[in-house]
Amino acid sequence: MSEAYPGLVLLLVLQVCAWVLLLWRCWGVLGYPLDCKDEQGSIISCTYISLEKLLDRVIQHAELIYHVSEESCTLFEEMFVPVSMRTQQNRARNTCITKAFPIPGSKSEIQKISDKWLLHSVLMLVQSWIEPLVYLQKTLDRYDDAADTILNKTKWVTNKLSSLEQGIVELIRKMLDEGLLAVEHQQTLTRFDAQPEVVESILRDYAVLTCFKKDAHKMEVFLKLLKCRHTDKMSCYIS
Amino acid sequence: MFANNSCEKKGAGIMATRLVFLSLVCGAVSVSVGEHLTTSEVPPKRPYFVDCRSPEQETFSCWWSAGDYQNLTGPGALSVFFQKNRDVWRECPDYSTAGENHCYFNSTYTSIWIPYCVQLRSQIQDIVYHQMCFTVDEIVVPDPPVGLNWTLLNISQTGQHFDILIQWEPPPSADVKKGWISLVYEPQYRAINMSDWKPLEVERACYQSVYGLKTGMEYEIRVRCKQAASEKFSEFSEHLYVYIPKVPTKETLFPFTMILIFGAVGVIIVLMLIIFSQQQRLMVYFLPPVPVPKIMGIDPELLKKGKLDELNSILSGHHTFKPELYNDDLWVEFIELDIDDQDGRSHHSDTHKLLGSENLNGNCLNIKDDDSGRASCYEPELPDSDMLDRSQAEAREEKASLLDSEGRAAHSSTTDPSPPGRSHPGATAEGASRSHPQIQSQLSSQSWVNLDFYAQVSNITPAGGVLLSPGQQSKIEKTAEAHSSPKTQKCQLAMTTDSAYTSEMDAKNISATPSLNGNEPKVIVSPYTVSEAPASSVPPVSDYTTVQAVDSQQSLLLNPSTLPTKGTPMPAGYLTPEQLNSIMP
Repeated sequence: MSEAYPGLVLLLVLQVCAWVLLLWRCWGVLGYPLDCKDEQGSIISCTYISLEKLLDRVIQHAELIYHVSEESCTLFEEMFVPVSMRTQQNRARNTCITKAFPIPGSKSEIQKISDKWLLHSVLMLVQSWIEPLVYLQKTLDRYDDAADTILNKTKWVTNKLSSLEQGIVELIRKMLDEGLLAVEHQQTLTRFDAQPEVVESILRDYAVLTCFKKDAHKMEVFLKLLKCRHTDKMSCYIS
Repeated sequence: MFANNSCEKKGAGIMATRLVFLSLVCGAVSVSVGEHLTTSEVPPKRPYFVDCRSPEQETFSCWWSAGDYQNLTGPGALSVFFQKNRDVWRECPDYSTAGENHCYFNSTYTSIWIPYCVQLRSQIQDIVYHQMCFTVDEIVVPDPPVGLNWTLLNISQTGQHFDILIQWEPPPSADVKKGWISLVYEPQYRAINMSDWKPLEVERACYQSVYGLKTGMEYEIRVRCKQAASEKFSEFSEHLYVYIPKVPTKETLFPFTMILIFGAVGVIIVLMLIIFSQQQRLMVYFLPPVPVPKIMGIDPELLKKGKLDELNSILSGHHTFKPELYNDDLWVEFIELDIDDQDGRSHHSDTHKLLGSENLNGNCLNIKDDDSGRASCYEPELPDSDMLDRSQAEAREEKASLLDSEGRAAHSSTTDPSPPGRSHPGATAEGASRSHPQIQSQLSSQSWVNLDFYAQVSNITPAGGVLLSPGQQSKIEKTAEAHSSPKTQKCQLAMTTDSAYTSEMDAKNISATPSLNGNEPKVIVSPYTVSEAPASSVPPVSDYTTVQAVDSQQSLLLNPSTLPTKGTPMPAGYLTPEQLNSIMP
């Protein structure tokens, strides 16, 4: 009897492990219809998510992206941009890409924008930055190992951006009852063709990062305004 | 060669010194020139923008300083122009709202994420003193938080420390509710006498806990905020003062209660030790043992089974011993014997007879079913004379009973050889009348202990008394001496040994008595004889003796010292008639 005991124990342990593994795979399917364990906004694995939760997740994404972009911008400035060129003046000179349709900047104007326009603006912003970020990754590779952290951050941001895009599409579908089958990417990047000098490339990359940071901030604010409207419509329209 | 070297060396040395001299001179000149230049031609500081700031991301303002140009400090001396999104340059819309040297842009002029450029120009608008470009989201520096307050979370058990929760409100200018601006907060605290502020974590929430503050010390708390991704913090909020006085009673009580607890535990432990060490004593004190029946002077252990000999020895030394304890046993044993007896009538009488013989100590036992009440068990000592008289009075009765039981005894002896106490076939009795078969023992109580439970009837006196022989000769002899008297000729009980057969002397005695001669032809010689002579003369006789001869009077002369031979299997204490016939001529 005593000899059989370890065998029995082993069998039991194996059984438990098998069950755990089996259930682990099915966990998402079985247990949590409201909680999408995967990345935010991904339609594929999520069976169902409420609008509030989706909106929260989208805002979380936007906040994170803005935060990381700001960090990489600061890092880049500290590492590569010469001190003499760090003035606000030079920063402001970097004109960012103007979008296809202008987005108003003042609060009052933005508050007047409808939900639909807000969502579409955000979507457009997100879509417009995926390619430049991919290109930025390539350019950052040319730097030595000092830019590794910035590179990693940029990669991370790119990933988050694509999931944010999916989330926005889902939001549009839920809030506006529109279906966007095709994800449109706008081709805006023509100015990055030439191979400039080192300083120019640095400044160009710095401009990219700065502009992206601004747009990330824009996304965050828009989405938060949207949330406010969703929760408390009356007070959100009053400026 | 040497000469050349020396020449070269000389030349080199001269060159070096010249160079040093020149460098020194040049340095001095440059320094003097520099100093001269700086002191003489210092360009005056031009008016410049100090900073631009937007408190809530909805408006912004810029302010400037005139620098060294004192004549430009007054209002209107300088003008501000701004350019929004690389558009046309416009003049500052509001010079007054924000204060002197401030240019205020209200919400209509403010656009976020759009590049602005501002220029500080002279009144004539031809000299640009300073230009600054920015976007509004970069210059957001919020107002400090308001509404700072604190609540007590808990105080430690010792009363030395406490925790609080501090809360505040976001600045009223910032539109946090709508999500237009996101702020993070950083509280700081310090003890009043300290100089360093301790910062807490930067968090989005408008509350935070502060742990580990000390009672009795006053603390100062302040909070500041900033936009989430920005680096510029706001000004600090108003200071909040926190103070919790020390609670002295708790401190003093705490050790006191601990002392009480430890003292009680110690006392309990000591009590337990005492109880366990003195367990036996306490048991005796609280639960006294129940007194068991006890015979004074005798160890109760001896009263247990199997220790009769020792008990006998002890009791023989006591004069006043009463054999009460053995009453029941003897009665029981006697009863058992009587069951075997075929004749029911004589049971009672036989029992009584036997009882009297065996219990030679028998002050108490001698008194049998006698309703006369003359004798009682509780008298410590009965005078021997009384006993003798009694024995005389009842001698005839005894004899009669014994005679009756003769025949039965003869029969029974064959069937039941074991009990020597039964009346012997050889016993003769003159009288035939039944009587209380009380056989009184002349012997005192002391001697009975030396006897077996069963005693053999040695002889029956002419008067009808039954003489029994005890187990041990010595005692018998003593008692016989003590009780012998002329009066007792008739009914003296002489105890001989257990020998089944009479000795020679005994046989003579037997033959001397006429009673024996009057017996039936089938005379069964009793192994016991009545001896008036001191029984001490009777030698110890073994259970079995051989008959030496039969004298003229048809009495058996026994050999006292012989042991029974193998060839003669005799019943204990009895000589069967067949054996007798074989022996007699």
